[in-house]
Amino acid sequence: MNPVRFLLRRAVLLVPLLVLVAVFTFSLLRMGGADPSAAMAGPTGSAQEIAMLRSQYGLDRSLPVQFAIWVGHVLQGDFGRSWSTGKPVLSELLSRVPASLELLLLGLCLGCAIGVPVGVYTAFHRGRWADHVARVVSLFGFSIPTYFLGLLMLLVFFATLDWAPPGMGRLSLMLTPPPTVTGSYLLDGLIAGDWEVVYSAAAQMVLPVLSVAIIAAAPIVKQTRAIVLDVLGSDHVRYAYAQGLPGGRVWRIALRSAAVPIITFISGELTGLIGSSSLIEYVFSWSGVGQYGLDAIVRGDFSVVQGYVLMLALFSVVVFLIADLIVLAIEPRARQLA
Amino acid sequence: MSVSRRGILGGTAAVVGMGLTSRHAAAQQPKTMVLAASGTPEGFDGDVLRPGTQQTVVQVYEGLTRYGRVEKDGHIELDPTKIEPHLAEKWETSADGKRWVFTLRSGVKSPYGNELSAADVEWGWTKSFAQKRTGNFIANVANVTGVKALSQLEVEFTLSAPSSIFLACLTLYTPSIYDSTEAKKHATADDPWALDWMLTHTAGYGAYHCESVRPGEQANFVANPNYFRGPPFYARVIYRAVPSPASRITLLRSGVAQWIDRPNMQQIIDLRSDKRVKVEGRPGRAMMSVRMNSTIKPFDDVRVRQAFNCGIEQGKLVQSILLGTGDDAKSVLPPIVADYDPSFFEYGFDPAKGKALLAEAGYPNGLSTELIFSDVSWWEEQVAVQVADQLKSIGVTVTPRHITATEMNARGAPARQDMPFFTYEDGPIVLDPIYTLALLADSKGVSNRCQYANPKLDALVLQGRTTLDAAVKHDAVEQAQKIWMDDAPWILTCYPQLFEAMGPGISGWVAYPDERVRWVDLRSA
Repeated sequence: MNPVRFLLRRAVLLVPLLVLVAVFTFSLLRMGGADPSAAMAGPTGSAQEIAMLRSQYGLDRSLPVQFAIWVGHVLQGDFGRSWSTGKPVLSELLSRVPASLELLLLGLCLGCAIGVPVGVYTAFHRGRWADHVARVVSLFGFSIPTYFLGLLMLLVFFATLDWAPPGMGRLSLMLTPPPTVTGSYLLDGLIAGDWEVVYSAAAQMVLPVLSVAIIAAAPIVKQTRAIVLDVLGSDHVRYAYAQGLPGGRVWRIALRSAAVPIITFISGELTGLIGSSSLIEYVFSWSGVGQYGLDAIVRGDFSVVQGYVLMLALFSVVVFLIADLIVLAIEPRARQLA
Repeated sequence: MSVSRRGILGGTAAVVGMGLTSRHAAAQQPKTMVLAASGTPEGFDGDVLRPGTQQTVVQVYEGLTRYGRVEKDGHIELDPTKIEPHLAEKWETSADGKRWVFTLRSGVKSPYGNELSAADVEWGWTKSFAQKRTGNFIANVANVTGVKALSQLEVEFTLSAPSSIFLACLTLYTPSIYDSTEAKKHATADDPWALDWMLTHTAGYGAYHCESVRPGEQANFVANPNYFRGPPFYARVIYRAVPSPASRITLLRSGVAQWIDRPNMQQIIDLRSDKRVKVEGRPGRAMMSVRMNSTIKPFDDVRVRQAFNCGIEQGKLVQSILLGTGDDAKSVLPPIVADYDPSFFEYGFDPAKGKALLAEAGYPNGLSTELIFSDVSWWEEQVAVQVADQLKSIGVTVTPRHITATEMNARGAPARQDMPFFTYEDGPIVLDPIYTLALLADSKGVSNRCQYANPKLDALVLQGRTTLDAAVKHDAVEQAQKIWMDDAPWILTCYPQLFEAMGPGISGWVAYPDERVRWVDLRSA
């Protein structure tokens, strides 16, 4: 299968998916009966002022017309303006993407670095004490509410032990961010050679990244263990054992077979992790896309919520696409099926 | 690759060190206050109240006048009966009260070095007239129709009718007095009032000035070096976005933050017993009201509204919801406003009277209704549940129903007012009885929200607004309170106190009617 053809086919499927997401989000928001014009007008807003705002933001038009106008603008790269900040939604979202990606990807990488080896090890040592310990610990990761985990981390490592900085965002209070290149304070600090910023950004990252990693690692341990166990029980691995191959060779065969389902699972895990990391952003004042989206939902900031959901949908699609490409690269059978 | 024990210890120490640096970084800076707020300000235009706007524009823009101050129980309170000169040095009025000329204080400078002039006052008011938002509302309430600079330091206000609340309205932060010389530099043909620039910049003559904003992260404020009342105690205020209330409290307790956005009542109760934190309270100005729409059945019958008031035990609400810290509500006016008169309150908990009134109104077997509440104010759900429980005493079955804050604001807005029975909190930002009545009780009041209308009350409000005779105004306020109480458009519950939580060394907090702290008042031990 030609990867370019594969990408084109996926891109075609992307269009109806995004349209469905857009229609669904738009309808849900509007069907709630919420009207942000009163909130925009403030506590002293008169009927005349509210009517003026409704007209200004197009809220006085019929829903299909509002939807058509919005889609028309989106196609031109204009996601509208946030009523609460008055700023263009797209630029506001994009300015927050680096912070979210930094948290999400580092958290996931750490989660994978812990979860995959532990899952593999426990599968090969099923029923031993390490397996039992890992299952109990991953159960903790599964059952602890995300918001509570964040607060617990702050309570223990900041308020009690004083080992970590406060959950007050991505940089110490007194520092000025480096010039924006990537949007990540850590990378931008490195590029600018500002070591104070680098240290501060790294320190601020420890607890939120660890929180995301704990949440990510728990299901990865469980699923990796189950996948590897399944592979170990498969005919070709049993055949490999029967052939008398050395343990290391059998491990490699088993891991290669387990790689595809593990990658597929992790890509799904990444999209699911966006919701959890939004709460982590909230607790640690991370100022990312998730926190921005949560605020917009609470405020009824329609344009932002629509842009936020559309961006998440696009992100999920891209993640699955990358996962598919990786699978294509490492699994010859997938190339024939694609 | 192996990781040595020394490496692990070194790494841990580095993170620990970084943690300590961050924890104490702000404290090491002289006279810096860290304020943990739910978000950064989304704009600095007092006419457009976006999240965080009101909290910060009051630090930057100050009025021509200000309330007097009195010492009470060891702290300073505003005296609404006295209006003092502030940015204005003095004023004169015509015999008919329709023309006022203010002489501005000379030598008042903005952080940009420009001197306050009458043209600044004219520019700010003209901006508010043009925008038709909050400042325009204040202008209308105060009967102001025009503002004109007469000379460098003299500015003339023209009123459509005399106004008893005009001088009190001039204490407000809007219509704001801008350094128009600076603001005009950022105006364009499409944006003549520099509104885009004002999303992230300030230009006032007040105590503070916005130095920088990182949206969603942090805003830095510095003291205006030219502030006419001398430098504030805090030279710098770091306004940090911490959206999680629990995280804000952790930061206050740890000493990293010295001030936080107002916590809810349960958090206040918890914090009061914590020695690492100081909690202060002042009388509140906004009632936890339950409103009845007088144009929708069964609330179009005054006897039903009165009956509902007879089914409520205010003391129980104070104890169970405010944990004993609030005051019973006995008037549409809060107790902190002049001419507040509780003597017209004739309800109290009297189920027999309530049942009799319902029977008279045609509901001998009681009635059922829905009580709508939202999350606009922290107490709404608790009040809805308590009121539903208490009204069983008069044979009324109430089903509380939750709606979103956005829907509540939309449905309570002047254009709709279509909720039959609902919770809401409104309070005056001008400490004046006529302003309060015009806002909450007048049929055209923007915070009426329940379509309550009584022409006699409207006439009294108009009379009170347009007289300069204190006795006439007092009489109008008295009569209006009685009419409102007889008509009973709200269930009167209680007034929560206004609490603030701060670092243990902080003093000087003064409560303002807009419930926003002025950083210029604060000191630290």
